[in-house]
Amino acid sequence: MRTVDAGAWREEWAAARAAGAHYFDFLTAVDRGDRLEVVAHAVDLGTMDRVLLGTSVPTRGGRLDSISPLFAGAAWHEREAAEMFGITFAGHPDPRPLLLRASEGAPPLLKSTVLAARVAVAWPGAAEPEVRDDGRRTGNPSRRRQRPPGAPDDWLEEGP
Amino acid sequence: MSADLPAPSQARGVIGLVASACTSCMICVRECPTWCITLDSHTEQVDEPGARRPRSVNVLDAFAIDYGLCMYCGICVEVCPFEALFWSPEYEYSEVRIADLLHDKTRLGQWFETVPDFEPLEAGSEVKVKKVPR
Amino acid sequence: MDAPVAAGRYRLADDPEVCIVLASVGLACCALEVDSAIRTGVLVPERGATEARHTVLLVSGTVTDALAPAVVRIASQLPQPVSVVSFGACASTGGPYWDAPTVTKGIDQLLPVSTYVPGCPPRPEALVAALLGAVGAARP
Repeated sequence: MRTVDAGAWREEWAAARAAGAHYFDFLTAVDRGDRLEVVAHAVDLGTMDRVLLGTSVPTRGGRLDSISPLFAGAAWHEREAAEMFGITFAGHPDPRPLLLRASEGAPPLLKSTVLAARVAVAWPGAAEPEVRDDGRRTGNPSRRRQRPPGAPDDWLEEGP
Repeated sequence: MSADLPAPSQARGVIGLVASACTSCMICVRECPTWCITLDSHTEQVDEPGARRPRSVNVLDAFAIDYGLCMYCGICVEVCPFEALFWSPEYEYSEVRIADLLHDKTRLGQWFETVPDFEPLEAGSEVKVKKVPR
Repeated sequence: MDAPVAAGRYRLADDPEVCIVLASVGLACCALEVDSAIRTGVLVPERGATEARHTVLLVSGTVTDALAPAVVRIASQLPQPVSVVSFGACASTGGPYWDAPTVTKGIDQLLPVSTYVPGCPPRPEALVAALLGAVGAARP
């Protein structure tokens, strides 16, 4: 994969298309923590030469030029990446949500998005044999209390 | 199970529990992706002759699998270090009330009675140490 | 939006007296097991003039909040009364998607369910007992 500047994203794809990569395959994103990596792939069906370009945008408020004006097939992929990761694709011909309703909250594929059910439902794994009904420990007091997977500490009522 | 519709012996029909083998270590409960296993236990001090201090033993009070929620991934069976969980091919346990799909320690013990022996491996395969306890 | 639905009259191979209208709403992989049940002869398509006395709505697969109203609408359009069979963990509780914000945590939040079939997926054969149970519960 060749990594390009976010500012040159559309230019690079225009050049790739002009060079023969007409067949758009996919566009998606990966949450790398502080940045979102956006990756897209297109193919020249005559030569089977492949173009795989990557770029990155900030995890919050990321913006990228839409390549849908170049590849009609990119429109759904960008709509999906927009609602799942919260990326704005500038110049998208039809930026409606694809699968989610606009009211459905935080972008679900961001790693920072908490699945509320994991906080609301009591995790059965929190129980420990050495904790008595009154909450007092009978066993090793230094053992760290188990936290439900996928529920951040600051979402839970009691601290760690 | 319908006699004319036998499932393969290794089918993931239902999970049976050997309560006497369970040490209440909580590994299955914590690894379960759907949080469908619940386990209650307490510790007891057991005096052993010759020992300087009494030994702490976990006693299993309750163990239940919610088959309404279970995704039959088998992670609990795989991770159990004490060989207390086994697959049974039984599959006919639909319920009219969803609450009845919560199978308790007794019911899971009954399912264990239906666990068949592992099929012999093909010649040249690595020998499996785990056996269904009888 | 309409849910993928196949409706037809079937006899149960285990109890040929029973002729049902089966409306199968297949929303995820469990639908393949239902298909398998039909193709392997567990359910026999009824081509004669026999009148079906029971209607079964078979919900197999993941019900999303977006699609749930379509499932309810299908139930309302079938000959009444309808016995709802919830086939598999997703339809019963959300199953592997129990924590997903877009998935309905069980079709029973919207429709009364006659029988819950456990499994992820249930075996095709598990459908027989469930259908007999659902039909039995609906018998006068």
